Amino acid sequence: MDERYSRQTLFSPIGKAGQEKIRSKHVLMIGAGALGSGNAEILTRAGVGKLTIVDRDYVEASNLQRQQLYTERDVEEKLPKAAGAEKRLRKINSDVEIEAFITDATPEKLEELVQGVDLIIDATDNFETRMAINDVSQKYQIPWIYGACVGSFGMSLTIIPGKTPCLNCILKKIPIQGMTCDTGGIIAPTVQMVISHQAAEALKILVEDWEAVRTSFISFDLWRNQYTSMKVSKAKDAGCLSCGENRTYPYLDSENMTKSTVLCGRDTVQIRPPERQNIQLNDLSQQLKELGYKVKGNPYLLSVEIDEQRLVIFNDGRALIHGTKDLTQAKTIYQRLLG
Amino acid sequence: MNKILFFAHLRDAVGEESIMMDAKGKTIADLKQMVLETYKSVNLENVMTAINEEFASDEDIIHEGNEIAFIPPVSGG
Repeated sequence: MDERYSRQTLFSPIGKAGQEKIRSKHVLMIGAGALGSGNAEILTRAGVGKLTIVDRDYVEASNLQRQQLYTERDVEEKLPKAAGAEKRLRKINSDVEIEAFITDATPEKLEELVQGVDLIIDATDNFETRMAINDVSQKYQIPWIYGACVGSFGMSLTIIPGKTPCLNCILKKIPIQGMTCDTGGIIAPTVQMVISHQAAEALKILVEDWEAVRTSFISFDLWRNQYTSMKVSKAKDAGCLSCGENRTYPYLDSENMTKSTVLCGRDTVQIRPPERQNIQLNDLSQQLKELGYKVKGNPYLLSVEIDEQRLVIFNDGRALIHGTKDLTQAKTIYQRLLG
Repeated sequence: MNKILFFAHLRDAVGEESIMMDAKGKTIADLKQMVLETYKSVNLENVMTAINEEFASDEDIIHEGNEIAFIPPVSGG
């Protein structure tokens, strides 16, 4: 054990005392895609006590270019990502207790999973889940680390309840039409750079070096060589519904969640976003065509073919996913294309 | 004059990494409107804004020489 973690304990901000702290901590990883794979591998190698991983998706060929825990074999088997990650992480470090859940990280599930957790790492691909993580973090006073990327552009922010502003202070509402990896593409170095920022923050929090925690919102574009660090302390809003004086944790309320319903007698799921959207169908159509999707449309809707499913999206954000009765699968397809 | 910086897909929509505009005395909301008048395909609805690398809201006033950055939140992971 001493030898195994020697290079990390030689690093003085961690030391032997820090290593013992890392060993005693429990981290919750929401998502096991690109950011989830990399963060989970670093924390497993670092010797965290327990790692819980939640993911609703399975491994596909288009994941292999950047999702470092998975193999061609996992694609052939259509292995759920949580199961694939668990299998690989156990081989990397048998000291670490790995727990995997193949499920949707709904607000109810999050409230159940955060019990006894010291840190939450965001490795999701949508803002709805992030806002629920943000609320759960405030409700149970657990730090979390936001990370996201698309193309060559990435960003991260560390949120410490009671100390920093929360994601709701900064964004005020769920941004829709955020670009996703399925619409804007992604290169692996962008993923790794976000992982580096998140995992370094995670180690600081696990060893309780609170002074070292970064308090700015960082973003960068590796292709265009832009870097920016934005101070956010001013964003802390006393009226914020997630972390302010009269907090209601709005994103833990199922009323504010995307509604998905199986349509009666049809192999179709309807998805309705919490607020009416105004989607620029022309722009979306162009983006999807460039990515090789078969898209047809008119001024009111777009029809996109995705494997065996067909997604029909209306400009108010409502969508029909034909070819499935599985609510989680339908929501996954929707959030992949629309953020 | 003020330097306005665009990140990620905003940069692609504008066609430049930065532009110069005189926004002295205007609010961030006013500036967004000015940008939209020139660059019609830019969507600034959900963007985060920084004045001199510090978080700014729509009501904040821009001073001479301030550098403004528009940063779109992204969701991929």
